[in-house]
Amino acid sequence: MALLSKTITAFGGLLLAHACYSAREHTTLLSLRAATAATLTSSPTVAASLPLDIIIETIISTFIILVGLVLGTRPLRPIEWRVWAGKIEREGEEGFTDNSGAVDRDFVGNPFSLLESRPNFVDIRKQRKEFADWIQKGDSLQAQ
Amino acid sequence: MAPSALQPPTRLTPTAALALSQQAPAILRRSVSTAYPPPLNKLLSGSETSDKWLQYENLIQSCLRTGDDQAAHACLKRLTVRFGDHNERVQALRGLVKEAEARNNGELEEVLKEYNQILSGNGTNIPITKRRIALLRSMGRLSDATSALVQLLDFSPTDAEAWSELSAIYLSQGLYPQAIYAMEEVLVLAPNAWNIHARLGELQYMAATAPGVANGSSQQYMAEAIRRFSRSIELCDDYLRGYYGLKLVTRKLLSEGAKAAKQTEDSELTLPDTNTIERLNELATAKLSDIVRHSASHDRGWRGYSEAEIAAARDLLGEDRSPTTR
Repeated sequence: MALLSKTITAFGGLLLAHACYSAREHTTLLSLRAATAATLTSSPTVAASLPLDIIIETIISTFIILVGLVLGTRPLRPIEWRVWAGKIEREGEEGFTDNSGAVDRDFVGNPFSLLESRPNFVDIRKQRKEFADWIQKGDSLQAQ
Repeated sequence: MAPSALQPPTRLTPTAALALSQQAPAILRRSVSTAYPPPLNKLLSGSETSDKWLQYENLIQSCLRTGDDQAAHACLKRLTVRFGDHNERVQALRGLVKEAEARNNGELEEVLKEYNQILSGNGTNIPITKRRIALLRSMGRLSDATSALVQLLDFSPTDAEAWSELSAIYLSQGLYPQAIYAMEEVLVLAPNAWNIHARLGELQYMAATAPGVANGSSQQYMAEAIRRFSRSIELCDDYLRGYYGLKLVTRKLLSEGAKAAKQTEDSELTLPDTNTIERLNELATAKLSDIVRHSASHDRGWRGYSEAEIAAARDLLGEDRSPTTR
């Protein structure tokens, strides 16, 4: 998806650049012709409007760029509370990644889980003991 | 995948905690070892992010848990240099390190005395107050911990974490009505917390099934539990914990028979009629089996549930199925 959107945007940019270049060429040409005409006949110049194909190219290329950029945006976040909460529970980290697959920096899982884990009241001695037991259990399993 | 050092590591599994504390040397090496006190830091060590300090705090916790005291001390030292000796959070972290390293009860008493001393100087030092309560609880002095916690909540009644801790302490003593009350206070402060709704439902269910509860109040607890679990599901689509609780409660009610519906007291909470309970039960069963099926096949978008929860849900569904097939 990322590659597709980038290709489309680049293509649109190319078209837009081409249209700009054509418009510039056209005006230079026109002013040159007007200058030579002025020296020859000193009559007022013709109306300086761009040819239709350049206008169309500009508009179409703008839309192509737009399509490319829209395709490249990350998926929209749910705005309904229950859908958002459900996404956190159901998909975990996977649901909150950007296009390149990295987890969003501000993803914290369920923001209210702190009310249950209570980091400020942590019983560090119990955790330490549990961890030591876990290591010992792993060692004795390996020994067997 | 390695856990991020930016999240509080309280709920990690041992494996994840080990992985996190093994990151510690790398993180310590990556950042400059000399942290400068406030006026110099802007000039000498360039820009700093708040992430860095959060990372240190969390590393201290998980390193203490895994017994890597050296790394914990290194983190603590940097925090102290940066924020000063009298910063409340730094004080609490230093206390945490001392608690973890205490070998016997005497040393713990020493730490407790230090906390008391800090608190006598500044009674509103909340991180230290919380550490003191946690230490008291860890030493088994539950009544002291409770009274200190109530005191804390007296002058800081909007602290949801403290209410939640109070509820846990009451629950550990079997005081269900008090635990439920404290949990309700948490809900007042965080009304959208779906896990707290489910937790309250679990408390109600525990209270209803506790031995020696009168039939009437047990039914009230059950009715309340149904409401809480339903609310948690309402707040969170496909919430495994909510559906699990709902199924547990409705199954119990259905197995106890339909006498519940007849009992119409004047109390505000009466059980819904049997028909509704049956439909809730069916809904919960359908949703649970859906969740179990999807995550058993590792479908995309269904991998967020924890393995243990899925296993428990599968067991619950299995228990349900076996009597009917027999």
